[in-house]
This record gives sequence, C-alpha cells and structure tokens, in this order.
Amino acid sequence: MPREAEPSLNEKQFIVQALGEKLRLDGREFDQYRPLELTFGDQYGVANVTLGKTRVLAKVSAEVTVPYVDRPLDGVFTIATELGPMASPAFEVGRPTETEVLLARLLEKTVRRSGALDTESLCLVAGQKCWSVRVDVHVLAHDGNLIDASCFAVVAALRHFRKPDTSIASGQLTVYTPAEREPVPLSWLHSPFCVTWSFFGDDGETALLDATWAEEQVRVSSCTVSLNRHGEICQIAKLGGVPVEAVALLQCTAVALTKAKEFSTFLDGKLAEDAKRRNKGGFMAELSSENDR
Amino acid sequence: MATETERLYVLPGDAIDEPLVPRHKKQPLRLGPGLRHIPPSAIVPTVAGQLVVEPRKNSMWMEYNGGRYVPAQNDLVIGQVQRSAAELYLVNLAAHTASATLPQLAFEGATKKTRPQLAQGALVYARVVLANRHMDAELECVSAATGKAEGLGPLTGGMAFDVSLGLARRLLMARSRDEGGVEVLELLGAEGLAFETAVGRNGRVWVGSDSPKTIVLVGRALRETDEGRLDVEQQRKLVKRLVREMR
Repeated sequence: MPREAEPSLNEKQFIVQALGEKLRLDGREFDQYRPLELTFGDQYGVANVTLGKTRVLAKVSAEVTVPYVDRPLDGVFTIATELGPMASPAFEVGRPTETEVLLARLLEKTVRRSGALDTESLCLVAGQKCWSVRVDVHVLAHDGNLIDASCFAVVAALRHFRKPDTSIASGQLTVYTPAEREPVPLSWLHSPFCVTWSFFGDDGETALLDATWAEEQVRVSSCTVSLNRHGEICQIAKLGGVPVEAVALLQCTAVALTKAKEFSTFLDGKLAEDAKRRNKGGFMAELSSENDR
Repeated sequence: MATETERLYVLPGDAIDEPLVPRHKKQPLRLGPGLRHIPPSAIVPTVAGQLVVEPRKNSMWMEYNGGRYVPAQNDLVIGQVQRSAAELYLVNLAAHTASATLPQLAFEGATKKTRPQLAQGALVYARVVLANRHMDAELECVSAATGKAEGLGPLTGGMAFDVSLGLARRLLMARSRDEGGVEVLELLGAEGLAFETAVGRNGRVWVGSDSPKTIVLVGRALRETDEGRLDVEQQRKLVKRLVREMR
C-alpha cells in the first residue's frame, strides 16, 4: 500500500525554525488564509471549494423517506464524508483513517447539532413521510486544513440547494418537478463556519491559521472553533496535543469571529452572484422563444 | 540545435518511424527513459511526451512531465531514509515509488567501523546505480570510479521542496537556461542571495542557507516558476518582485 511519506527531519526542523522567525513557507501572514474560491455547479446544491491546493466538493441530495420512529416530526439530515486515495496516498476507501472520523464528527457537530438546518421543516406527513437531506463531501485534493474547507463547502452547498416543492391535498402528497413548480430552498437558520488554529513551538506559543499539509504534520496541537457571524460559538474542539494558554485561546476565538464574518460575506456574495446568473429575468423571459437572430 | 527541430510528440505505443532512429557506425544505440525495445527491432514509447534524438551519442529518450518518478540509472535523487537494515538503508524516493536501497558502505571513506549514522527521516543526495524493472533501485553516495563523494552524501539543515518532475529535469540540464528555460536559481544568486541547492531527479530540490528567509524565498520562487510555467522573462520579474518583498 503506498503511503504518504512523513516529512523529513530537515523539513520538520526548518518549518519550526522559520516559524520562530515569523516566516511561513508560502510567505503568508500567520493569520492569513490561502485564496478561497467557491464555484457552484449547474445543478442546485453542488459546491466546489478550493483553498490553496486543497479542494473539496460537496453535493446535496434529497429524497422522501419514512422518519425515524422516535422522531416522527423531524426530517432526516446526514453528512457523509469520503476521503479517497485521490486526495492522498494515505487514504483508502472503506477504511476510515483518524482524520476522516474526526472530520465527519466535526462537521456533524458544527452543522447538524448546531441546528443550522431546521429539520422540523423537512417533515411532510407526521410519522409517515419526510425529506431526507444528505450531503456528500468528497475531498479531491488534500493540502491541509480539510476541516475549514469541508465545512465551508457543506454550508455553501446546503444554502445553494433547492428541494422540489410539495403539496398535500386530502392526504395525498404531491412532489412537483422543477418544470411544474420552482424548487424551494431549505429552511436555513444560521451559517456556522470552522476556523482551525494550529499551534507550534514547545508550549504552543505560535498560532497559525489555515496550516498547509506540511505544517499540519509538524504542529504540536490544533484547535477548531465553529461559530457564525454573530459570534455564536457552536463548538470548540481541541483534541489532545500540547496544552495552550487560555488567554491565547481567547485571542484565537476573537480572530476566528472576524474570519467567520469574512466567510459569511464571501458566501453571501457568491450566492447572490449565482442567483443573478440563473435568473433569466422572470417567468415571461423564460417562456419567451425569442432569440437574438 | 539539430535536436530542437526534430522533436516530435508521441503517445505510448506509437510507432516510431525508422528514419528517426539514429544510426551510428560504431556506438551501440542507447535508449533512455520512456522507450522500450521490443525484439527484434521495434522501439515503442511507454509514456506520452517529446521524443528526443541525439545522433552524436547515438541515443534517444523521452522528455515528459509525468507524475510518478521511476528510477533510472545514473539519476541524481534526493531520498529520505525510512529505516536502517543490517547492511543498508531503505530510502524513500517518492510516495508511489518502491523504496530504494543504499548500502551503508556506499559513502565516501566509509568502512565497517566508520559508517555514517543516518537517523530515520534524514535526507541523502545519491545516485542511482541499479534500476531494473522488477527490482528495488540501488543507490550510492560515492563515485565508484574515484572513491570521492563528488557532492553526494547526507544533506544537513536546509529545506527540501517538492517540484514537478519536469522542472527537476530542466534544472539538472547542463545548460538549464538555453535547453530547459529555467534561470530562476541563477537570477536569485545574481541578486546577492547566498544559498546552495541540490536537485533530485525525483522531484525534490534541497536548498541550504544560513538565513531561513533566503530558503523560503528560493522555495517560493521555485514553486511559482513550476506552477505558473514561467518563461525566462517572467522568472526575471518574479525574482525581482520576491526580492523586493523580502527587503
């Protein structure tokens, strides 16, 4: 089985030494993200996010199913992550690595457990029929900071998604095709974003945002803060590693808030742009058969 | 140059026209990487790329920018020590390449008692001495003819950067500016930066310097040259910009 080479001793030493002199390998500031790009697909609910060389594709799909017995009034909402060998030689299909489990768990906590999607709105007929919304996260290229990129992709895809319109008349459920009725967006309550800090040095005194894969392999600990643009924190995960001063963590969350606000405005802008691109100028313009000829 | 005009793009399995194959009276025909001899007389490319024919040396090979490094004899490579076995080191060349062996006595002046101790993860600059298709490649850090290191050996300090195989090959050319179209290292040196480099054919470039700033700058210049596919004029602009940013 091919496996990813650990960074060599020279690389490990140099990365730490350069960080001590306030230098990053790509010349970024410590609290600067790599260029973030977001493109939507032709279908609703497909978001392609690139963060430097990291690339994540999220796709949302919905189908009508039977709700869980213990939650008859809620819809079903799942997030599935997949790290394949395309992203890195270290990943295999069907054998989740620790990275994959942690990523899935963090996305779950950030998006699902924080109540970003109103699952009650997915209920169609109490106890009998509901929407099942599923987000598939595919990591296409792995160059560090998968968590932030995947979370952004999931939120972008869910906000871009439209589910088919439905109606209930005399107990009969009708699902309309996009030609019959315009699909409707999900009932979205707030947009959480993940901001991951990586700590370096013996006591974790150097904090970096958006670490690349090389930097991630050398870090002594990391901390992921999930919050929305109003500063409401959904979760903070600091899983093991070197302990970090509480004051430093507070500063990190303060910077995370500004980053979450930046993400939020960026996403709003992109969604508005996409809506403009799709809008052909109203119903009459769409029906018209005139052309430029 | 005669070879420049004759360069031809071929795909794996393409037939190579008979007149293209060099015919030298005395020297035997030498096939470089990417070409395969199928007896009795067919020569078939195994990769997609440019076919280069050198009539004077009676040799031909393929010039390509592939993703996976395949060791070939006499390549200079930068390997990473995986572990040490009884008499040799196992050295990793690239993620999808089988590890190579480096005998512990294949260093300059090494005897059974004074062999170099390399920790796991140490970098070595070595030459490939043996590269058969179904065997692990064998490396050496000493020239068998002279018994001298000739620049090979363990690399201490510095930083190793990953570049594409094509760029590594262009950097290794004797006249890298004219033939390969890369001048970035010379330009950086002309700006007064002091650093040393070792280029591995397996897509790794080691940069050493006293100042970490210089190493970061050289690494960024290499990466941007590689990813942006810059020509010599653009490389000149890039170097000017990076040096201005640093000062």
